Amino acid sequence: MTPLLDVRDLSIVLPREDRDLVALNNASFTLGRGEVLGLVGESGAGKSLTGAAIIDLLSPPLRRSAGRITLDGERIDGLTPAQMEKVRGRRIGFVFQDPLTSLNPVLTIGRHFTDTLLSHFDISFAEARRRAVHWIGRVGLSDPELRFDQYPHHLSGGMRQRIVIALALCCEPLMVIADEPTTALDVSVQAHVLKLLRDLHAETGVAVLLITHDLGVMAKMADRVAVLYAGRIVEIGPAARLLGAPHHPYTRGLLRATPSHKAAAGRLEPIPGSMPNLASIPSGCAFHPRCPRATEICRDRVPVLEGRHEGDAVACWHPVTEDRP
Amino acid sequence: MFRYASARIAQTVVVLLAIAFIGFLLVSNLGDPLASLLPPDATPQDRAALIATLHLDQPVAMRFLTFLKGLLVGDFGISYRSHEPVAALIWERLPATVELAFASLAITLLVGVPLGVYCGIRPRSALAKAVMFVSIAGVTLPTFVVGILLIAVFSVKLGLLPSFGRGQTVDLGFWKTGLLTASGWRALVLPAITLSLFQVTFVIRMIRTQLMEVGHSEFIRFARARGVEARRIWFVHALKNTLLPVITVLALQFGNIIAFSVVTENVFAWPGLGSLFLQSIQTADMPVISVYLIIIGAIFMMLNLLVELSYPLIDQRVLRERA
Repeated sequence: MTPLLDVRDLSIVLPREDRDLVALNNASFTLGRGEVLGLVGESGAGKSLTGAAIIDLLSPPLRRSAGRITLDGERIDGLTPAQMEKVRGRRIGFVFQDPLTSLNPVLTIGRHFTDTLLSHFDISFAEARRRAVHWIGRVGLSDPELRFDQYPHHLSGGMRQRIVIALALCCEPLMVIADEPTTALDVSVQAHVLKLLRDLHAETGVAVLLITHDLGVMAKMADRVAVLYAGRIVEIGPAARLLGAPHHPYTRGLLRATPSHKAAAGRLEPIPGSMPNLASIPSGCAFHPRCPRATEICRDRVPVLEGRHEGDAVACWHPVTEDRP
Repeated sequence: MFRYASARIAQTVVVLLAIAFIGFLLVSNLGDPLASLLPPDATPQDRAALIATLHLDQPVAMRFLTFLKGLLVGDFGISYRSHEPVAALIWERLPATVELAFASLAITLLVGVPLGVYCGIRPRSALAKAVMFVSIAGVTLPTFVVGILLIAVFSVKLGLLPSFGRGQTVDLGFWKTGLLTASGWRALVLPAITLSLFQVTFVIRMIRTQLMEVGHSEFIRFARARGVEARRIWFVHALKNTLLPVITVLALQFGNIIAFSVVTENVFAWPGLGSLFLQSIQTADMPVISVYLIIIGAIFMMLNLLVELSYPLIDQRVLRERA
């Protein structure tokens, strides 16, 4: 069966006067129907750009330099702005990170919904209103009728994020891209919003491209995970395998640097050094200056992403084989 | 809303009183009304009578109250120069200035707002770049230079439009208007353009900057990510966010149009308040000067009050922040 979303050789560049800086380098991945694919990586690895590039919403001067994007069997790269408008929201929803800045302060909550719905469906305002109220209630806000007429500043951060999620889902898209959906929230609120996302995913069967740096969120939500480092996918695989027995030294480093609830699992081990910026990506495997396993070849040649099959692969000259994460 | 409105109104009243007091200080401390108003052969009785009429024998506080009362009922005192009531002088000149100001405002709105929106949405287009280039001239050229240039081209060289006066006016009894005759309209063109040029460019640049800033905000990106139609995004989601500063500045600019029509009126010999003000300064006619200043101050304050009262209609958050 063809995947819902098929991203082939996607590259994103930041044009500079002398040369183009490569922010994402030949990334390929697929997202199945109803599947949750996690994109994980440090900030600056290119994960948010990947999400923005899929719906053609990169902020200039960033631009897509190569790649094919197929949604439900149809190419969606290279659509006209008017055609892309019909894809955004209707076929691909997008959950933004910061609920405090994602909602328009001078419009009512209801107006956010009705403008979105009326842009995509040929329905009456009364019907748009009915659907909006339905969604406000569905994401767990009390008094949806009242909320409809309230302004964003009347709601708390967690409530606003629920609204953002409802807005992304209200046109019943095939998939949503959730860019750090819980990062800006209080820890206690994070758990609620995460549960809401999981419930909605279970009820609607919407596929999710989950972008986060939080491996804990990843473990709870994702079916499969892709790890990004300095603009390249370095490892991709089923969440259980990848988080349980990572093959790439960077993935292992990330896991060892993440606090675990299983407690007493040992000390946290930070990865030495920091991710290079776009202007100075090292030769060969970009991770080699920080990698304990690096040898001559890592400096000279870029490892290819390969593995048992396309959906379970690692880009490393010296992959980790022992079981311990 | 009630608390918000009453607080705004109270502030306005306080400032208006302060302006009136400053105006009063001008009249009561500068110039010598007796020397200006009495004929050279006046008797001591005339002198005493005038002192009583002008309440000069009363304490300062009483005189200020009398002055305030006069302002409220339209008794603005007597001009030192023409010995006519100031109210009559002002009323005679007011229509010219008001008509000029509204003509300028209309040009500002009809030209400035659409061009500003266009330049904000398509900042990289050739037209937007051309508009921005030309608008530098509008911002930097002083009003009197613009006026003189326009006269040189359209009146002297081409002979298309008159260079001075209001043309023929029609007296409606309470209001002398130049808008009912062809010559009145023709006379209005050059001064109105001159007066509005700065405002137009100012409005264009401000709306453009505001829209570009809002265009980069997360909520506009989110609206685009939801596939909201471009038309809705710009004219509802973005424009509404720029309205607060734009309305504020437009109202103050309208105040400026009235207040600073002085220069334009002088260049075009436009018989309005501005030229009356200049004549009064030349002859140290304190009552006219002070009333002019009070009227301009009051116009500014009223515009400001209207703007502030309109804020909650646009952005509900002002009620919460100030309550």
